[in-house]
Amino acid sequence: MTNGTDARDGVRLVYHRFSAFHRFNHYLVMVSFFGLVMTGLPLKFKTSHWSQVAMDALGGVATAGFLHRVFAVVNITYFILEGGYMLYYVAARKGPIFHEDSIVPGKKDWVDMKGMFRWFLGKGPKPPLSRFTYWEKFDYWALFAGTVLIGGSGLMMWFPEATTRILPGVALNVALVLHSNEAFLATGVIFIFVHFFSAHGRPESFPADQVIFSGYIPVEHYIHERPAEYQNRLKAGTLDQVVRPAPSAAKRRLFGWVTAIVTVFAFCVAAYTLLLILWPLFFS
Amino acid sequence: MRDARNCALWFAKKFTFSVRSVSTGVLLGVLSALIVPTVALAATTTTFVANTTATLVPTTSSTTPSLGRQEEQDAADLTDRCLTCHADQNLGAVDSGGEAKDLYIAPQPYKDSAHGLLPCNSCHTGFSHDPHQMVSNGEFFAQTANEACRNCHDDQFEMYKQSYHGELTKGGTTDGKGAPVCTDCHGTHAIQKVDSLEYKQSIPDVCGQCHGGRESTFLDTYHGKAITLGREAAATCVDCHGDHSILPVGNPESTLSSANVLGTCQECHPDASQGFTSFLVHIKPTSTKAPLVVFLVAFFYLSLIVVVFAFGGIHTLLYIYRGLKDGLYFGKGGKH
Repeated sequence: MTNGTDARDGVRLVYHRFSAFHRFNHYLVMVSFFGLVMTGLPLKFKTSHWSQVAMDALGGVATAGFLHRVFAVVNITYFILEGGYMLYYVAARKGPIFHEDSIVPGKKDWVDMKGMFRWFLGKGPKPPLSRFTYWEKFDYWALFAGTVLIGGSGLMMWFPEATTRILPGVALNVALVLHSNEAFLATGVIFIFVHFFSAHGRPESFPADQVIFSGYIPVEHYIHERPAEYQNRLKAGTLDQVVRPAPSAAKRRLFGWVTAIVTVFAFCVAAYTLLLILWPLFFS
Repeated sequence: MRDARNCALWFAKKFTFSVRSVSTGVLLGVLSALIVPTVALAATTTTFVANTTATLVPTTSSTTPSLGRQEEQDAADLTDRCLTCHADQNLGAVDSGGEAKDLYIAPQPYKDSAHGLLPCNSCHTGFSHDPHQMVSNGEFFAQTANEACRNCHDDQFEMYKQSYHGELTKGGTTDGKGAPVCTDCHGTHAIQKVDSLEYKQSIPDVCGQCHGGRESTFLDTYHGKAITLGREAAATCVDCHGDHSILPVGNPESTLSSANVLGTCQECHPDASQGFTSFLVHIKPTSTKAPLVVFLVAFFYLSLIVVVFAFGGIHTLLYIYRGLKDGLYFGKGGKH
């Protein structure tokens, strides 16, 4: 790190990226996702020895099923909160909707993606990324759509008698296939291929990005990581909306600890999940 | 794009005047999001728990006859006498068909079995003298299955005789290969109580010996997954198809005939309606024989998972490669 940006002392200005509401919602997503994965995936990988160990540790299939429903309620809660926020955002014109700094995918994402691949291969500079990168948009909308699908199919299987009063029994077959596959897809996207890499594995975030817990990053980091948004705000004169004085040293330390603890916990859950999936490949 | 923008702007305009009521709505939504599912959860949990306690009625009512202390000792003595030879792992014989037959009996599994307290000759009738004559034909074993079990389990045997499985034995295939006899489903020396978890967990494989492929589709349903991981109350093959009095699904008397299937489902799912009964247990979603909608969903996800994981994996690896190459992780250049 260059002079003046040391996370402990030198931070004078920070870029405020996530409000308390979004940080709170992310906790709900985390808790429900971890809970649902831990109680649900053993069923999918039923022949894995680790699944039996996990199920017994959870208190049996029936107890795991009860916990799965509790976490499902948390899941539905954050979905309604985020949906409500979306409506509010649009209704109250909280910010741009079709703009390169909004969460809605657009042409720049395609350009950025091509640019990133060129940069990966050493054929160009790193493209100036916006407020939300294309992989962050994928992460967000995949979770949003996935929650509708996995939540809907989950509710169908939670209330199979009510479901089949309206729909034919084959709807439960569809729900089972969808729920199981969507769960596997989400697990891979979160734990390996997209989200964990984005939060922990990218050079910009390695070993852990604290922004979703603290809400801010040092402004120098921001300029480096989201140059397009920075330039846009500079031109529009809206930088002061997002740049604030750094919180106190004590607060910064607290967020550091929160990030560290959550990261360790998240990696434990990821290890638990990967064991479920990989156990049969290595041990039988 | 312009249309979409206009639509969104219209939407925005329409809602702008009522930002406050929207906020109130969001607040109410949040509250109901927390309260409604909790109440629903509490309500369903009760029935959920009630369902699990109303577990399956044991399908066999007979219990191991209680033996007196002296009888118990006599039985154990006799069993030990047989085991003098049969506990030898090398004991075998060649039957009339020229096939080698293993005559080893593992002592502990037998003693731990549901019949562990019974002397050997309660099933192997006609072995009262010893050393006994060599038994060299398979017919004897079929006879044992058909007659010895009947001595204690007459009710079950009568039901079995009326069943499709019992019907098969009348076709002359009494060697136990063409038609299942008691021991094919229940096992022999390591016989387990039918309400034990271990036995229930073995049922899909037992049925699969003859009804191959049906067990794997069953095991992919919730019932199959739950019983595999130890939920005793989960239904297995016999809970839907019936056990001793089993009949083909096409038979009007079958538990799964169109007239009876709803009642069968309702034994565990009292609120089930006719639509509930059309859930398909024995389908493989990735097979083209599955209903089209199920196949399409399975195929869609399979493709999506491959594409997303492959793209994500390549993207990640390239990102790491660039990061390492440019020293962005630990290099002196620093992160910014």
